[in-house]
Amino acid sequence: MALVPIKMPQLGESIAEATIVRILFNAGDQIKADSDLFEVETNKAVMAVTAPCSGTLHEINAETGTSYPVGSVLGQIDITSDEAKRLGLDNPEKPSRKPQKTRQEGDSSPQKVEPTIPGGLPVPAHAGGVSYLSPRMKARMAELGLRAADLSSIAGSGAGGRVTIEDLERFMSGIENNRITPASPMRKAVADAMIRSWSRPLATVGIPIRLDNLLAHRKSHPAKPGPALYALRALAVALGENSAPAGRLIGESIVHPPSVDIGFAVEAEDGVLVPVIRNADKFSLDDLVSRYNRLVELARQRRLPPSDTGGSIATITNYGTFGLTLATPIPLPEQTLLLGMGAGKTMPNWDPKLEQFVPVLEATFTLSFDHRVLDGGAAGRLLKRIEELLNAPELL
Amino acid sequence: MITYLEAIRLAQQKALATDSRVFLYGQDIGVFGGAFKATKNLSKEFPGRVIDAPISEDAIVGMAIGAAIEGARPIVEMQFADFSTCALNQIVNHAGTLYYRTGVPCPIVVRLPSGGTSGGGPFHSQSMEAIYSHWPGLIVVTPATVEDAYSMLLEAVNIDDPVIFCEHKFLYYHLKAEALPETSLPIGKARIARQGRDATIVTHGAMLHESLAAAKELEEDGFELEVVDLRSVKPLDTDTVLASVARTGRLLCVSEEWPWGGVTSEVIARVSSEGFGLLDVAPMRVNAKDTPVPYHPDLWSVHRPTASTIAAAARRLLQT
Amino acid sequence: MSKPSERVTESDYLKAYRIMLTSRIVEEKLASLYRAGMIKGGVFLGRGQEALSVSAGINLHRGDIFAPLIRDQAGRLAFGDTVLDTLRTYLGSQLGSMRGRDGNIHRGRPRDGYYAMISHLGAMIPAVAGGLLAKRLSGEQGFVGATCIGDGGTSTGAFHEGLNAAAVDNLPLVVVVANNQYAYSTPNSRQYACSDLLDKAAGYGIAGHKTDGTNLLDCLQTLRKAVASARSGAGPQLVVASLLRLVGHGEHDDFSYLDKTLKQSPVGSDCLLLAEQHIIDQGWDTKDELAKWKRDIEEEINTTADRVRREPPPDPEEDDWEALSRAEYREQHTSP
Repeated sequence: MALVPIKMPQLGESIAEATIVRILFNAGDQIKADSDLFEVETNKAVMAVTAPCSGTLHEINAETGTSYPVGSVLGQIDITSDEAKRLGLDNPEKPSRKPQKTRQEGDSSPQKVEPTIPGGLPVPAHAGGVSYLSPRMKARMAELGLRAADLSSIAGSGAGGRVTIEDLERFMSGIENNRITPASPMRKAVADAMIRSWSRPLATVGIPIRLDNLLAHRKSHPAKPGPALYALRALAVALGENSAPAGRLIGESIVHPPSVDIGFAVEAEDGVLVPVIRNADKFSLDDLVSRYNRLVELARQRRLPPSDTGGSIATITNYGTFGLTLATPIPLPEQTLLLGMGAGKTMPNWDPKLEQFVPVLEATFTLSFDHRVLDGGAAGRLLKRIEELLNAPELL
Repeated sequence: MITYLEAIRLAQQKALATDSRVFLYGQDIGVFGGAFKATKNLSKEFPGRVIDAPISEDAIVGMAIGAAIEGARPIVEMQFADFSTCALNQIVNHAGTLYYRTGVPCPIVVRLPSGGTSGGGPFHSQSMEAIYSHWPGLIVVTPATVEDAYSMLLEAVNIDDPVIFCEHKFLYYHLKAEALPETSLPIGKARIARQGRDATIVTHGAMLHESLAAAKELEEDGFELEVVDLRSVKPLDTDTVLASVARTGRLLCVSEEWPWGGVTSEVIARVSSEGFGLLDVAPMRVNAKDTPVPYHPDLWSVHRPTASTIAAAARRLLQT
Repeated sequence: MSKPSERVTESDYLKAYRIMLTSRIVEEKLASLYRAGMIKGGVFLGRGQEALSVSAGINLHRGDIFAPLIRDQAGRLAFGDTVLDTLRTYLGSQLGSMRGRDGNIHRGRPRDGYYAMISHLGAMIPAVAGGLLAKRLSGEQGFVGATCIGDGGTSTGAFHEGLNAAAVDNLPLVVVVANNQYAYSTPNSRQYACSDLLDKAAGYGIAGHKTDGTNLLDCLQTLRKAVASARSGAGPQLVVASLLRLVGHGEHDDFSYLDKTLKQSPVGSDCLLLAEQHIIDQGWDTKDELAKWKRDIEEEINTTADRVRREPPPDPEEDDWEALSRAEYREQHTSP
């Protein structure tokens, strides 16, 4: 004994329901398959609902004059097990799908490589931090005047670790509780330059250089040239001999410098200005003293004319004046080299002849450089040449 | 209760009653009342103005064009949208070019019973809005509600330019409303069918209802989806779409059409080029599979988007 | 006994001839302008078909609908088109009726019943039929619609559907088939398998008329009869004329595939020359008088052409580039 439902069929395109007009049998009647059981009316016509199988009409669940949606059960037929078997109705479960082939132990077939971005996620996977910025994010950052570097402290809560708009808004409102002062135009310019420079792989090498000969030369010089000028001239002479270390890598070419114009950093208010000595390889130290001093003054007063700044191929920075003995300063974004000078210190130095330590005045000189253009070896050789020249200042 | 189909019938009745220039032309629309009964009793009520045509889609539309030149406002019925390709030439090359070439507008309405129903098969299920939107000179509307089926058809008759009226067959009897609207949004304005803030679904036709069901499903997970009913695909209310994406930052386009060059492509193209900075994630779309519409209900039910496939796509979109 | 209205008079004949002559001369002018590189687009002439075409146009009047086709310069002039607009449309003047948006034979003024053809052959048949239906529904009476088509056009589905639908509604439509033996390079033997295109009339349940396309009198009489029949409510009329296209498909085509025996047979006669001879034979005008007409018309056409060549072309900056008449339904987001 099994019950088979009589369902309202789909009696035409777009028909959603039909109304029972007449019920042609009573509960308990014997009915044959395909005989008409109900007359129903749709918007288009009066049609019949037929019995899906033979058997006894077990019950009727519909009333005349009422509308039933397609698929509703209008009644049930009680069929014999033989009839059920004949019609294949005795096994209502669908045949199960073939099980997935599992990978066997020691299966030598190469495993398919799964793509890292499944089904094209709307955000790239591994989007950690601010490495992925959606257009909307960029637009919001532009509105707020933010750069990606400003958001480096935010660990993103979004997909792949990305910073979301919510993260940003939370961050910005969190900052509001702190004391806030405006950044000067100088500060913003330096920040911009440093970010641009940092986009390259930078490295720094250094050596201690003895200052005795330089200081002796300076003492006897009527104009007392600044130590940075000595370093500038030494760098200029060295680059005049071989300009390659000051070249720039652009694409697949090394662009060599047109002339040996060297800049030197001067602190001014809350930033740094870089006046330039043009063709520094072609003038002696003596020739350059007054020009150098004048440029330092102008820079300090922030009255440096545009023609005396910009276009240099390397820069000197004397961080020793801040008391620093060692630093890894960042070359200007348009330059490959930055020669730094630390503070002079009296240090013990092993004298092999006297077989004892003797005090010498030395300072660490660093060369910071764009590692795409030169390696430690070339940097070291350049520093060594500068050391040679600084130990023989009469050559400058 | 008024069904979507009845709304269309009532709109035609009103047009015939209030504008003597209107007449109806199509196969089986006279005494028989139309294959879907969209013109039931109208030939009796308006003798001589509800005219049976031979099986000649090209001539049906061609005649409408000539009649329109002479001052009439014909509404022609293609028995199925799928057969309108037999009239493609008259629609796109004659009606669509008449004003541009001659300065004489072409006020015809071509009704296309569109979209899929169970068991319809490849030639009784198509959505044609993309191809008619592609050619210049045509207005293409896709009412998704009973109210819009009524008001947009009346508005279409009053427009001086050719209107392709893509009424959805599945909605004919499935959709019902209490009353007909007094006023409505004009053709060219989309409607926010559901307000939300987490993502925007842009859709039209029967897919509006699938999208609303998907939105309800996602509501249980705490997501509020905004659903935009385009109502007309040409002109396409880009401003409303952009305003919605500005609120949500995420776009999911849903259509029953095939993917290549469909309405979803057009919406995403516009939002990408005019609202790029609004997008928090790449836009997504859900379309029918790129095959002819299958016949068997089991195949048909997965061929086009459903509430659950739309919800699944929305979930992917919402992964921040 | 022939009804008085069916008799073609001397003045009817001369009027028709003059239009044919004007058509022939303006088309020669177009051909020479084409060879001088002055025409925008292609040139398609109706040389050899003037008698048939003028007969169609001349029997229609204001209130009728006419949708002429490719070889109907004469019919167009008879229905009210002008040499001026012909030249303007071909030469691409801003002042042409199509304003540069369409050109050559794709011109018309639909509001005046002069429909502008689209290139798809047969498509104008249902359009004219629909115009007639609208007139009937609005209560007009005594109107007729006519359109011309070639042997090739009768093969299209649109021809079949349009004529059949017009027949079902018994519309006053006259379809004039110019069987000029070729559709571009396709001879009749590759175009249809029935022995005579006129047999199609029986197939559609409509009246058919045969005419000698090279004979102006026969064309005038036949078209007068067919148009009158339609006007009186006898339903669609199919007129089939035999003639020969005396030019290439377009001026870019040299007609090298023409079967020379056709050219030498009666169907290859030049209807204009035959008409001229008829006028002379009837004593209505002399050869010299006709020659003077020709010169006068040539001069007028040359003057008009010179004037049109000085007119400006359409200005892309000033064109509104809109395909919909109602501004509120135009897309805002698709123009560059």
